Amino acid sequence: MNKVTIKQLIEKIEGEAELDFTFNKGKIEDVNINFGFYRGIEEILRGKDARDALVITPRVCGICNHAHLLTAVRAIENGYENAGLRVNLSSKANDIREFTLACELIQNHVKWFYLTIIPQFEKYVGKQSNENYAIKATYLSSIITKALAIFAGQWPHSSYAVPGGVTCDPTHLDVMQAESLVYECIKFFEDVMIGGSMDTYLTIDSVTSLNQIEGDFGNLLHLISVNDMVKAGKTHGRFIVFGDCSIFKPGKSIITTVSNVDTSYVEEEIQPGTMAKAVTYKQKLYEVGPLARGMVAKTPIVKSLHKSYKDSMFTRIFARVHEVALLLEYSKNLLQNLKLDEPSCVLDKNVRPDEFEGTGVVEAARGSLIHKTRVKDRIITNYDIITPTQWNLSHGTKEEQGIAVQAMIGTSSIEEATFIFRTFDVCSVCTTQ
Amino acid sequence: MTGQNKPKLLWLQSITCNGNTHSFLNHPDLFSILSHFELVHHPALDTDYSMEDIIAGVVPCDVLILEGSFREVGFVKGGVEVSSLIELYAEKAKHIISAGTCATFGGIFKQKDPKSISGFCFDGEEKTKRYQIYASKLISLPGCPIHPKWLSYVLLMIAGKKDIPRDNLHRPVELYGYTVHTGCTRNEYFEWKIDTKNFGLKEGCLFYEQGCQGPYTRGSCNKILWNDTSSKTRVGTPCFGCTEPNYPGESLFSTKTNMGIPDKMPLGIPKRAYLTLTGVTKSFHIKRFSERIMEYDK
Ligand code: SF4
Ligand code: SF4
Repeated sequence: MNKVTIKQLIEKIEGEAELDFTFNKGKIEDVNINFGFYRGIEEILRGKDARDALVITPRVCGICNHAHLLTAVRAIENGYENAGLRVNLSSKANDIREFTLACELIQNHVKWFYLTIIPQFEKYVGKQSNENYAIKATYLSSIITKALAIFAGQWPHSSYAVPGGVTCDPTHLDVMQAESLVYECIKFFEDVMIGGSMDTYLTIDSVTSLNQIEGDFGNLLHLISVNDMVKAGKTHGRFIVFGDCSIFKPGKSIITTVSNVDTSYVEEEIQPGTMAKAVTYKQKLYEVGPLARGMVAKTPIVKSLHKSYKDSMFTRIFARVHEVALLLEYSKNLLQNLKLDEPSCVLDKNVRPDEFEGTGVVEAARGSLIHKTRVKDRIITNYDIITPTQWNLSHGTKEEQGIAVQAMIGTSSIEEATFIFRTFDVCSVCTTQ
Repeated sequence: MTGQNKPKLLWLQSITCNGNTHSFLNHPDLFSILSHFELVHHPALDTDYSMEDIIAGVVPCDVLILEGSFREVGFVKGGVEVSSLIELYAEKAKHIISAGTCATFGGIFKQKDPKSISGFCFDGEEKTKRYQIYASKLISLPGCPIHPKWLSYVLLMIAGKKDIPRDNLHRPVELYGYTVHTGCTRNEYFEWKIDTKNFGLKEGCLFYEQGCQGPYTRGSCNKILWNDTSSKTRVGTPCFGCTEPNYPGESLFSTKTNMGIPDKMPLGIPKRAYLTLTGVTKSFHIKRFSERIMEYDK
């Protein structure tokens, strides 16, 4: 008997997961990922007013609630359009939504970096510093969510995006306050995370110049290299992005060929033994998230890393932290160009179709988030939420292992495997909405 | 996080979205507040005791923070019913804080299965059978999610060994004695019964037209601002009454009215008083309130 299965409870992710590792001759041959309790948000939505989704769906997840709000509002707007009502969002409303979403992504990535990745990796390689990384995480996240709240009123759980725009009507004073908060975050990113200027950092476009990065990010990259783990945690090399904004392009990338996507090819499938449903595109599994976004947008440094190390955990970690820099730049530009004289909301709240079907897509921190709503007599008859973690953490299909499962296979210890697992930025609350 | 004589703080999650955890992580003085305690376990921060220790029942606990709604059977972690873990540590604790509307009244997730899901000591406004056992140490902090400053107030009061004045639902009166209407920047419009014309405007009150629950909702969102910055009504979003036992209601973006009169009177206001005042204010036309506060020239 060479096979043994070991159960492990994983915590300090978003929620908890139970992993069953099957070892064969000392190497992990299969992993079963089980998520706990199903909360039934889709069922709760049935029978409610179409717009109530703007309040209910953020409660799927405490860390990506804003992405849920924006996906929900896009699903309604898409439904209105399908029913013949044109929604011509002002550039102001659109830019404010983009800004607040960018803020949410930034807080997520930085919390993941400081609360999960650095401490867990240090623990794994037995180099524990006594640094309070959590204070860095919460410092940045409390600042960037302040900038978010200027427009959205609060974070978490705002409902400030409504069909046709946003509820806020910011002044120059608001915008200036948000700008200085973004600058404060850029300063933190420069001084603490990369130990250098953002402008120089953004010119880094190949693996050979990675050693220019200092700060906590540089230290982590170095630590992974010296422990010879730059190639660990590879998966299928297939990436997909559905959301659209000026820094994320929709598309799918297989190895390095990028082509178009269409949400109608997305399928959900119930899996035995877990509350999480598996998701595929044309029956194939794809990775979603920052690495996928970097591959589809052909971000030079991400492509260069991929060329050397494929979709390893090193490339994956890099892509997520790198996104912080891109998002900070993006949010700075959005604020600078915000057109305050445009209307915040273009639709009259009383003008709305009674019956429609719509799909909304947004790039959430962990990848593409899809909401589908069906409405009759203004009441939701069906609501379908497909979360990013369902792509990355499913157990897989008959033909192939799930994305994260594949990345863990072949490793020889539970410690290594669970670290690789965490590089996917695991969220059990989203998976089991 | 060490500290031998400090109260031991344990944060347990039940059926939740993690919103309360993340709300509190955004508290700008997080680590100064936590420095008064020994944090024995937390869902996101690094702690000495693991979830497995919690399940083994060996973790000390003086202050228990509960996040998420309660269900007696069927919600299992590491092979153990979470309800039994909660009761075990609730027994040990000197203070129990129900953080958020789920833990306090049942909240959104109660709607999935209203018969078996509730808050820990309350099911909506009704007391559960656990109420009698734990009432003496219970502090209710409803809110979806919890306001970080409200939680810090309670923690610092406990650390300073002060009594926290509470109402009949065990909510601290210093936090829930107000309504969300208190401090709302749209109050002048409310007084003069000027409704906002649409979403996305600074001007006007959201009560009649967008379903604002501010006048019925206990909480100090407009006094102690969110993220030190703002609130729902300040950015033109109606209050949805997320601190209340019956949250969430139906048709959240509209106010039920009967022949132009709101179905429910603002908290504690007799209908006659409300209607008399409304009649008087509506008979005036005040120019300032019908104009935009500022226009941006193109
Ligand atoms: S009360 Fe709201 S924020 Fe808190 S766990 Fe429940 S749904 Fe999430
Ligand atoms: S918007 Fe709501 S909270 Fe503000 S004044 Fe009007 S009713 Fe009160």
